[in-house]
Amino acid sequence: MHTYPVELLVNGERHDIAVPADRSLLSVLRDDLGLTGTKTNCLEAECGVCTVLIDGLAVNACATLAVQCRGSAITTIEGLARGDALHPLQEAFVALGAVQCGYCIPGMIMTAKAFLDDNPEPDEPGIREALAGTICRCTGYQKIVDAVAAAARKMNREGCRR
Amino acid sequence: MSFEYCAPATLAEASALAAQTDGTASFIAGGTDLVIQMRRQQRRPSRVIDLRGIPDLDSIVTIRDKVSLGALTTHRAVERCPAFSGALRGLIESAQVIGGHQVRNVATVGGNLCNASPAADLLPVLLTLEADAHLADGSGTRAVSLIDFLRGPGLTARRPDEVLTGVFFAVPPARSATAFIKIGRRRAMEISVASAAAFVTLGEDGRCIDVRLAAGAVAPTAMRLHAAEVLLRGERLTRDVLTAAGRTAAATISPLSDVRASAAYRRRLIEIAIPRAIEHSIARIEG
Repeated sequence: MHTYPVELLVNGERHDIAVPADRSLLSVLRDDLGLTGTKTNCLEAECGVCTVLIDGLAVNACATLAVQCRGSAITTIEGLARGDALHPLQEAFVALGAVQCGYCIPGMIMTAKAFLDDNPEPDEPGIREALAGTICRCTGYQKIVDAVAAAARKMNREGCRR
Repeated sequence: MSFEYCAPATLAEASALAAQTDGTASFIAGGTDLVIQMRRQQRRPSRVIDLRGIPDLDSIVTIRDKVSLGALTTHRAVERCPAFSGALRGLIESAQVIGGHQVRNVATVGGNLCNASPAADLLPVLLTLEADAHLADGSGTRAVSLIDFLRGPGLTARRPDEVLTGVFFAVPPARSATAFIKIGRRRAMEISVASAAAFVTLGEDGRCIDVRLAAGAVAPTAMRLHAAEVLLRGERLTRDVLTAAGRTAAATISPLSDVRASAAYRRRLIEIAIPRAIEHSIARIEG
């Protein structure tokens, strides 16, 4: 099977891999790079648990071919914390009890990060609309929405640009 | 599902790469339809040709009285286009109700058109704008009216080696506006149950000088509603006149019953949504 050389830039680190054209970015992140924070579920761009950032935009990694990611800067959930210092979004999700089973959380946080980077002072309808592409079966969403709002306030107070 | 992958730098190269495969290649941009269809084995291209490296396909440009909307424009870019915030606001209303952020960030205008779902949400407003699709191969470009471009569910007039480069339409005249309404069982991540688009031009006296109406998800392709339009041209758009137009629109569509809704319900939705889309356009003109 023909493979294609792909240089992936993930969380600031360069990885040189060779993959068949039909490998999704999701499977490469999880199975080749061991970055299992990004989750697998519907595999049809409906549930959002596979959300990563590509050049700052939230994208479903399950519907993205790895070969299409040459030259793009990819950020996964593993790329948010700085050592032991969690990202304000991660802190807020933990502090406000927005995590139950945890499976949707990386997707929720990555979607929220892209949204807040673009909309630093969101209102609740805006947060809900931004999260529409990521499904949670546990929480009923309210604490997730509250956590995103709290993170936004903290990021603005601290001038956070992470 | 394995296939070859190419990333050409020019239109001519892309077209040649498709021509070599005798119709078994697919073009890819955002891939939000194609990658999923390939995973489900609904499409099995021998070669996938990535269009995103080709320059000048993702611009929104107005030259004299024509707007050109590049095929690689993402839904995100359409949503945020300042030039569309006035009379062309129906295009923003269409782009912003497709999928979620993750899809809209990469999914393109060209993909929505070429995938040609009966429920494709960019199509109704573009039909009311009487847009043309531009198709290019190695030797040149041809223009096809959007209505002729759409041939059936998932079927278009595009030949396998042609690249859709963009859609073109006239700048709306003064006192005109577009509007789009999407109806689904939920407010996001939904394939339309029915959709309605209106393009209205009013005279200074408030009479309707021109109107174009279109509906989505209620026929094999998105469609114009000419019979309903005839009732409105030259008239004052009173509640009674709009109600009659809604009834006529509902009678002229050909919806299916499927997992999302019955045909009867779709007719009822169009009966309501067409007058409502017209009212939104009027409010936009007079507002």
